[in-house]
Amino acid sequence: MKLSITRDSLHAGLGAVAATIPAKTTLPVLSNILLEAKEGSLSLSGTDLDISVSVKIDAEVEREGSVTVPARKFAEIARELPAAPVHIEVDGVEIRIEGGKSRFKLFGLAPEEFPSFPEVEFDDSWRMKATDLHELISRVSFAVSTEESRPILNGVLWQLRPDSATMVATNGHRLARLRIALDGIGAPETDLIVPPKALQQVERLFGAEGDVEVARSRNHLGFRSPQRQVYTRLIEGPYPNYEQVIPSDSDKTATANRDNLAAAIRRMAVVASDQTHRVRMAFSNGTLSFRVQTPDLGEAEEEMPVDYQGEDLEIGFNANYLLEVLRYMPDEDVILQFKAPERAATFLPASGAPDYLCLVMPLRLLD
Amino acid sequence: MRGDEAAGAAPGGPRIRILPDHVANQIAAGEVVERPASVVKELVENSLDAGAKRVDVELRNGGKTWIRVADDGEGMHRADALLSLDRHATSKIRDVEDLRSVASFGFRGEALASIAAVSRFELQTAPAAEALGTRIRVEGGRIVSVADIARRRGTTVTVRSLFQNVPARANFLRSAAAETRAASEALVLLALGNLQASIRLSSNDRELLDLPAATDIGARVRDLWGEEEAGELLALDEERGGIRVAGLIQRPDAARPAGGRRYLFVNGRPFRDPGLLREVDEAYRTTVAPGLRPSAFLYLAIPSGGVDVNVHPAKAEVRFSDAAKVREAVREAVRSRLGELTSAPGFGREDGPAGAGGVGRVTVPVPRVAERPRPMTSEADSGEAVTEGAPQLAFFVSRESGPGDPDSDERGPDGERAGSDGPGQAADADAEAAALAALAAPGDPTRTGPWQLHDAYILVPTRQGLLVIDQHSAHERILFEETMERFTGQGGTSQRLLFPLTLRLSPAEFAAVSELSGLLNSVGFELEDFGERTVIVHAVPNLHERFDAETAIHEMIGELAHGSELVNSARNQHERIAKSLACKGAIKAGQPLSRAEMEELVDRLFATELPGHDVHGRPTILRLTLGELARRFGRS
Repeated sequence: MKLSITRDSLHAGLGAVAATIPAKTTLPVLSNILLEAKEGSLSLSGTDLDISVSVKIDAEVEREGSVTVPARKFAEIARELPAAPVHIEVDGVEIRIEGGKSRFKLFGLAPEEFPSFPEVEFDDSWRMKATDLHELISRVSFAVSTEESRPILNGVLWQLRPDSATMVATNGHRLARLRIALDGIGAPETDLIVPPKALQQVERLFGAEGDVEVARSRNHLGFRSPQRQVYTRLIEGPYPNYEQVIPSDSDKTATANRDNLAAAIRRMAVVASDQTHRVRMAFSNGTLSFRVQTPDLGEAEEEMPVDYQGEDLEIGFNANYLLEVLRYMPDEDVILQFKAPERAATFLPASGAPDYLCLVMPLRLLD
Repeated sequence: MRGDEAAGAAPGGPRIRILPDHVANQIAAGEVVERPASVVKELVENSLDAGAKRVDVELRNGGKTWIRVADDGEGMHRADALLSLDRHATSKIRDVEDLRSVASFGFRGEALASIAAVSRFELQTAPAAEALGTRIRVEGGRIVSVADIARRRGTTVTVRSLFQNVPARANFLRSAAAETRAASEALVLLALGNLQASIRLSSNDRELLDLPAATDIGARVRDLWGEEEAGELLALDEERGGIRVAGLIQRPDAARPAGGRRYLFVNGRPFRDPGLLREVDEAYRTTVAPGLRPSAFLYLAIPSGGVDVNVHPAKAEVRFSDAAKVREAVREAVRSRLGELTSAPGFGREDGPAGAGGVGRVTVPVPRVAERPRPMTSEADSGEAVTEGAPQLAFFVSRESGPGDPDSDERGPDGERAGSDGPGQAADADAEAAALAALAAPGDPTRTGPWQLHDAYILVPTRQGLLVIDQHSAHERILFEETMERFTGQGGTSQRLLFPLTLRLSPAEFAAVSELSGLLNSVGFELEDFGERTVIVHAVPNLHERFDAETAIHEMIGELAHGSELVNSARNQHERIAKSLACKGAIKAGQPLSRAEMEELVDRLFATELPGHDVHGRPTILRLTLGELARRFGRS
């Protein structure tokens, strides 16, 4: 294997793959990147066995071939190389790297030791606009659970329907859901539970333009464009019936400026308990009042004007959950809907578009 | 008695008569002198009251055949010596009023007469080296000889053939070994109360105790029971409501099932009080496994009038005018000492008791008696009276720590917060500015800690060294106290669940949940009976961000239904639930923590009442001092 490549292309390729390389691993080859030179391009691949990423960059290939190279050292060398074409030549597992007047030799591992990527047939693939994928992933995946006790909730539910794609994530205390209308993308009608880490790679690697081809096998999901591929294991199991918990009987509605609301909550959170982050909100006609009382720490109060319809309501929340939800709300104004102090609160963009919804379960003060 | 009656009562004469002295003394002896140990106790108390710096006790055959107590205290002139053998002859009190403020040991004035009534008794005494000494021999209560002798200052009492004329009592004596043990224990009690005296005990010419005069109680404990035991003790010194409680208590982790040594003193006088010891146990609650009784050496100083010592002839019991206040003072003193960081174990050996502020000494002021009672000495000699430096207790802890003492003043890491550049040290303006800067931009965490070790321990550097905190144990202590507070209605929040949990329970579990549902609700579990032994959980306590409510409630219900060592040690249902929730809800070993989480955990731990101890009787913290490190590296 022998090739030449621009330093910047190499940077870009390594940057794309590096995030997949596990920091610690018991399988040494996983800390290596698989290099494959073929037909005018160099492929770089990395995997942690759950998620696999492969990117293709243009290269002047003199002799085809493949090898694995220690990822970290390779990336450090690439970073320090002068701005000059990089020449790479491989002899067995010996990798020679030249840039400007610098020459390096690294010892890699045989390409056969590198785990093969999941076999996902793209014959039955469907195509999504990258912007739609971005939108779905960025507004939903923050809500997944990081607790390991319910693995299902560690994933993002992706529901494909003939005319729509919906993503849902929850940790059991708050939930985010975004639905995007699609027409005729040829997707199977299916529910997938996808690790958020894989979705973050997808978001990162597939730029805003163009389409992404998606296909699944029994246990895996593959995303690809001509230059890039991401594969991930799917999480198995039935996702909780989230539709059931979306309130349909909320009879109290408040409309508020998202940024003002978030700023007020941030101020209140300063004196909220580090443990519970509890803030209390009281809605009445025209006014939303906040109050925080933390034993041994202090108190805070604030009022803000709000457009509110319904009976007076007092309700407590984890400030962090509120701030997260507001951060991802797309509109300047946000609608809050309530039924009762012990029921879920619904957060919606005021304009009604996109079809985005967040739920936050309240905190009850024990007394 | 019958013998006396038969001999003395004329037929038809008055049937009630005054008993001859020697008979009365024999009767009194029954109260005061039960066994050789009580003779030792009475004689040594007299020696200490006489300001002795050194007391030698010799026993033979457990004291049954021979007891000798020799001291270097104030001796007596002949007249006093003779008078001392009269019952109720005492130099220590003059009227009933003095009883209220008595600070000496012996005061009932019956000891010598009583002992002399039931033995072959010899008293040798001299008030000063140059003065003429006196030797008095008494047999069966009657003085048989009084002679001049030459001897050094002090008093030597020899008691032979104890109870020779009271066979009934003699028959009740136990083996020589048992009597020796009892005498030794009586002497230990006196040794703990009188540090200023050097005390020796030998039995059949074998030395059993050799206690040099001590400057602090830690030293006396070490001389009595060795370095290791002394190193397990915590020094305390607290005053509450005019009652001072000082002494040593055992570190909870060192408590052993065999039970600890427990000694109580009030104004220097040993006393027994099971009720007060229960307060000590109460103070140890949750820091030791149930049933363990840690050692305690407690010295109470109570203003005169607050305690009545004339309750029991052997003076083992006292009566407090405000017993509730005394109990509270003891409980709170022990409790607050256990709340200090130095109650956590260290690495390696300790240099004696860990003081609240290091190892050192403090004097426990015994309330001044109006006039210091004189040991048996005559009015005429009062000019040269007793006692430089009075036997009052010079005890051991001190607030000022020794130079280079690494353990001083550890309350929390760096006094207030973790991180050596925290704001706690800012005293003057310059430091304040530096502290503000540090506050705005905290130092490099890799340098300042805390660090996590193997996802199980938190290492917190302090001014004095390093704390190693067990993250699970520490969190248990936090959750336990916070849950107990919830029962009293302070704070606490409950997170409603989007997806309620459904629990199918066994009959026993269901019964437990039904019984406890009110209490479970008040800590944040909102449960709904769904029929068929199924319970729906709608809300769970908001304990921490990693709280796995589902696993925790399952485990808790199992534990509450079937019991466990932990919950069985709880005193009531509140504690059962708090202990179970603490144990099941606490973060586990193996949980990686962010720096902020570690800091919060440490802060909250030090906000608890007993940060050094978890709820199983294990320590939460180990202290590694710079002193210990220096020692290990051979730098000291």
